[in-house]
Amino acid sequence: MARARTVLPDPSYEELFTRARNRLPGSQLPELAELRRQAWRRVCEIGLPTSRVEEWKYTSILGRVQKALPLLEATAPPLEQLKAAFAGGVEARRLIFVNGRLVPELSHTGGLPDGMAITSLERLAARQPERLAALTRPAEEEGSAFAWLNAAFWTSGAVVELAAGVRPQAPLQLLFFQDAREQAGMTHPRLVVRLGPGARLHLIESHLGEGEAGQWVNLVGAVELGEGAELVHEVMQAPPQSATLLARSRIQLAAGARLVRNIASLGGGLVRNETEVHLCGSGAEALLNGLYMPMEREHVDQFVRVHHEQPGCHSDQFFKGIVGGKARAVFAGRIMVYRDAQKTNAYQANNNLLLSDEAEVDTKPELEIFADDVKCSHGATVGALDPSALFYLRARGLPQAVAESLLTYAFAGEVLERVVDPHLRGQMARRVLDRVPGGGALEAEGLV
Amino acid sequence: MALLEIEDLRARVEGKEILKGVSLSLEAGEVHAIMGPNGSGKSTLAYVLAGRDGYEVTGGAVRFLGEDLLAMEPEERAAAGLFLAMQYPVEIPGVSNMYFLRQALNALRKARGEEEVKPGEFLKQVRAAAELLGMPQELLKRDINVGFSGGEKKRNEILQLAVLEPRLAVLDETDSGLDIDALKTVAQGVNRLRGGERAFLIITHYQRLLNHIVPDRVHVMVDGRILRSGGKELALELEERGYEGFAGKAA
Ligand SMILES: Nc1ncnc2c1ncn2[C@@H]1O[C@H](COP(=O)(O)OP(=O)(O)OP(=O)(O)O)[C@@H](O)[C@H]1O
Ligand SMILES: [Mg+2]
Repeated sequence: MARARTVLPDPSYEELFTRARNRLPGSQLPELAELRRQAWRRVCEIGLPTSRVEEWKYTSILGRVQKALPLLEATAPPLEQLKAAFAGGVEARRLIFVNGRLVPELSHTGGLPDGMAITSLERLAARQPERLAALTRPAEEEGSAFAWLNAAFWTSGAVVELAAGVRPQAPLQLLFFQDAREQAGMTHPRLVVRLGPGARLHLIESHLGEGEAGQWVNLVGAVELGEGAELVHEVMQAPPQSATLLARSRIQLAAGARLVRNIASLGGGLVRNETEVHLCGSGAEALLNGLYMPMEREHVDQFVRVHHEQPGCHSDQFFKGIVGGKARAVFAGRIMVYRDAQKTNAYQANNNLLLSDEAEVDTKPELEIFADDVKCSHGATVGALDPSALFYLRARGLPQAVAESLLTYAFAGEVLERVVDPHLRGQMARRVLDRVPGGGALEAEGLV
Repeated sequence: MALLEIEDLRARVEGKEILKGVSLSLEAGEVHAIMGPNGSGKSTLAYVLAGRDGYEVTGGAVRFLGEDLLAMEPEERAAAGLFLAMQYPVEIPGVSNMYFLRQALNALRKARGEEEVKPGEFLKQVRAAAELLGMPQELLKRDINVGFSGGEKKRNEILQLAVLEPRLAVLDETDSGLDIDALKTVAQGVNRLRGGERAFLIITHYQRLLNHIVPDRVHVMVDGRILRSGGKELALELEERGYEGFAGKAA
């Protein structure tokens, strides 16, 4: 008999579910309670992945999540740290989640344009519970146990809705702060973003935190872009090293819609991003830029799938990794061109810089093409700093160590300069500098 | 004392001897040109002077301002006042030209025990240099040489030269890739930077450049050796006769 690829969740989950289910938001609603039970059953059917599951070959998460952890509660977070993470400018609207729970007093969602609504799931549970099931139900074919786990255990989340043609000037920032100074535990926040036809949104998502207590964040996002809608989604992940962050997003684009997603993973003990982009209408476009920079014993896994379902769509994946210490990075990017998706343009590049002999990168670009009239390319590199660039800088007077730091920064800079919000870009740049060996000696002023 | 004194310099690349005994002496304020057929070792000489890895010196000596140049790291050579404008300038995505230039200038100043340049002063200096070379300001903000045309890259090298103010500038085929107007502009730029103590070693294939930047001496390099040296008329002679007839070429 083949060895099991997945394992049953530890009984502690069942115990927790039994104990907590009557207190979870919306539990008074039979339909939602049933959905949570059904979701829990799906978790058990699918099981939690071992490294024998192909998609989890290089990332072993089981040790961190097999046993249930207490559901996290909000705390009084360190305000200075929160403020330091504000991005999007003075006009930005902001939702702040502490330990995965929305903190309305710290959030700012006033003065939204007509046709734009930002609602928390908790609030919906109180006011319009009948909407919850539809907003939290995974797609029937959803094969990730973690997505179902989220549907069973969510306690908090946000729904962002823009009606047709609504284009707020100000960005919206979602700030997730993990206060792990005392509490260990898990949280399963959920995010729903819906843009009507022609709507446009600049969404910023920041993850940070503090403390040594182990926390696990199991974030699930569902994004739908109507015809011609445009979403710029910029993500900085810098939770404490004690944290595990699993972020799964499913993004659907209707005809002519445009997605720009810039994501930088600059912290966290284990971070895995699962990004599924569905180009469901012709002429849709998705630009995915990513930077990851695990150091010490950190682990980052970028799992990206772009589904070209309709003709004439364009996608471009540009991911760069800098891996130091004993860290490990995984990039698994797949382009899938469906049979009808003629005139597809799909590109993917994954370039990695190894800073130490003990660092490791596993990169697996994949193409599955079932249409014939397509332009696709993919490529992956793993290497060290370019000697001719190093010489160029030294020949202009930069000491070797400085030249190396600068080139390492530059490697990341190529992604950073695509980040639209200058505040977020600055925050990312500082974190990158903190991570670049000798980066402290580089002058920050003027770097991106 | 000569500014640069190259004595019987021999060097290998990938185990193959390329420089087979080069001797050359250059005084402060002078402009020398080196001409020679493809593959004769001109760029190799330039790289050996600048200290690039992979170029193994097997004999001879180079003194720069009386110091043993070959014992120095590339950045020490830069700090001592050596500048190499490269035949193929490197593209470095992720860092802006302007940032790089300021760091380079400050690194040189620091190595010489001088103060950092004031931001306003730096800006003025760069603007002036850009104007001198007819270089759009826009290029300064872009990443180092990324997306620059061949000619823009060459101009960028001379811009760096103008800002970093070395004692000796080695220009490796700065003229190739420049259009006629750009050639004039760059030559004018170089001429403005000429004079005083600053010296130039100009590697070129074309007499045309030397019409604009008139050299004090012309050297002909063939097969890793300088076979002949003369005044500026030597370049004209080469233009007419080519390298044919230079001993060693056939060897
Ligand atoms: N890295 C290298 N590996 C192997 N051979 C090399 C390398 N660099 C230079 N050479 C060889 O050394 C010789 C001299 O090259 P060099 O670039 O110095 O010539 P050059 O005089 O500058 O020519 P050109 O006028 O074409 O620029 C050539 O035969 C070249 O192939
Ligand atoms: Mg050459």
